[in-house]
Amino acid sequence: MTFSPPTTRRVVVVSVFTLALLVIAVVCGLVVGPTSVSNSRIFGSLFAHIGIGHSTLDQMQTTVIWQLRAPRLVLGLLAGAMLAVAGGSYQGVFRNPLADPYLLGVAAGAGIGATFAIMDVGHGLSTPTWTPMLAFIGALVAVGATWAIGGRGSHSNEGTLILAGVAIAALLTSAQTFLQQQASANSIARVYIWLLGSLASSNWSSVNLILPYVIVCITVCILCGRALDVMSVGENEARSLGLPVRRIRFIVILASSLGTAAIVSVVGLIGFVGIIVPHIVRLLVGISNRRILPISAALGAAFLVIADTIARTAIAPSELPIGVITAAVGAPVFVFILSFRKFS
Amino acid sequence: MMNAVEINNLSVSVGSKKLVSDVSLNVEAGSWLTIIGPNGAGKTTLIEAVAGIRKFGPGSVKISGQDMAQLNERDRARLLAFVPQNPLVPAGMSVRDYVTLGRTSYHGMLRAPTAGDRAVVDSVLERLSLQQFAKQNISVLSGGERQRTVIARALAQSTMVVVLDEPITGLDLRHQMELLELLKKEVAECGLTVLATLHDLTLAGQFADRLVLLDKSEVVLDGPAHDIIRNPELASRYGMQFRVVDVDGSDVVVPVRS
Repeated sequence: MTFSPPTTRRVVVVSVFTLALLVIAVVCGLVVGPTSVSNSRIFGSLFAHIGIGHSTLDQMQTTVIWQLRAPRLVLGLLAGAMLAVAGGSYQGVFRNPLADPYLLGVAAGAGIGATFAIMDVGHGLSTPTWTPMLAFIGALVAVGATWAIGGRGSHSNEGTLILAGVAIAALLTSAQTFLQQQASANSIARVYIWLLGSLASSNWSSVNLILPYVIVCITVCILCGRALDVMSVGENEARSLGLPVRRIRFIVILASSLGTAAIVSVVGLIGFVGIIVPHIVRLLVGISNRRILPISAALGAAFLVIADTIARTAIAPSELPIGVITAAVGAPVFVFILSFRKFS
Repeated sequence: MMNAVEINNLSVSVGSKKLVSDVSLNVEAGSWLTIIGPNGAGKTTLIEAVAGIRKFGPGSVKISGQDMAQLNERDRARLLAFVPQNPLVPAGMSVRDYVTLGRTSYHGMLRAPTAGDRAVVDSVLERLSLQQFAKQNISVLSGGERQRTVIARALAQSTMVVVLDEPITGLDLRHQMELLELLKKEVAECGLTVLATLHDLTLAGQFADRLVLLDKSEVVLDGPAHDIIRNPELASRYGMQFRVVDVDGSDVVVPVRS
């Protein structure tokens, strides 16, 4: 696939459009829901939080807006931004358009960690606290093993890392399947729901838990955008241009994996955002990671919040798995942009 | 005149097989040395070792008196620019952005190119007649224009030494000549030192000041281009017959069918 270098005007238009979409997503995330609360009261309460005027929400409405919708909205923003930036970073560092945030075994590692907790394998682990913790540890152990096998030594390169990731993911997935075979129907259902990913159990403590990871990891990845552009000419040429390729690869993979692990541990496996959002942005603003990564962060955040709003309202009071919405909304949008760019 | 490149007893091995064996060469500053030799002689391996992208040992490579093994990537990139045989050209990148990659070692990973970097890029684009393509997607350029852009990226590194591995592969005769003339002009006007590999013996002889024949991983002949081209051992090393004829003062190598 070839793209024309974008004009500055196009980049500005796309950036403004993305920010507008982000604002719309934030408003939807707060306003839309089964409990009807007038917009003016919601925004009155919002301004009251920053010291302007006073809130007119009653006790129940305050709980719905500030203890249910707001943390869910913030978690959606963080998860969408992190997954999109991690996907874009992986695609840049591996120079592989199929790379997604789960490439190096994060999903399989988190999956087996969560399965351990949900099935109470270690006895006493089956509490809401242990599931994210073991998922986080599982994800980091998986990426660590992938790096130890494929990322170290003088002969390591993008290919050896990807292959090591595939092997580790296959190994952990088979172990998870084995565990699930031993589980009760109830546990299997809970593992399945976790694997589908959801923002339903969001609260402020989960936001506080992942916020530092996400802020630091997104910042690091975006700062490495220029280095990723140099790496687009290949490892050897990038090194001959003066780039410490191994160090950059390590930093980007560490930041992407750590941020993804933090997100996955709290919201489960939400697919499609990490692969589709950076591609949409790439189609619109060209191949430079300096533009792709920050715009992907904003678009990924907006995209996931909108998808979650649809997921929790489409068949209310039940919820749809958010992964279904991200794929159902993202794929047609991507195909549309792809066709539009091809014909223009 | 001082040596820009000093290669001392350099060997490269893969397992027990020696790809380059105990090669020692010096290249004077502001001169052009071309390495010739049959396929599998070790030309690309040698040039990649000099460029610092292939590990070697034992031996040493010094550029402008500095031992490349002791330098980090950034310092190496300020001393030597490398043009590989098949450069990877990112589809969708503009010619200007691609040439600006040559300034990476100066502005660093986090900072944007400075006004000084942009001035260097502008100067290189102008010298290589690439200004009209500056905003174009590099992947839609012709083979000759694209290779000129790759050379421009190397020149944007502002190094004393440029190392090129088969820079005219895949180009038609006109574009081969154009590209080599450009480099020759940089040698003459800017004091650039060129270390290159070439398969075309006629062009190698016409553009280089000195030729080195590499065969079976070792240096076999080393001397002024005119002498090496007319050395009878050259044909035997290629395992064929050819004649060297003088055309308006230039040596032209003509293969003879057996």
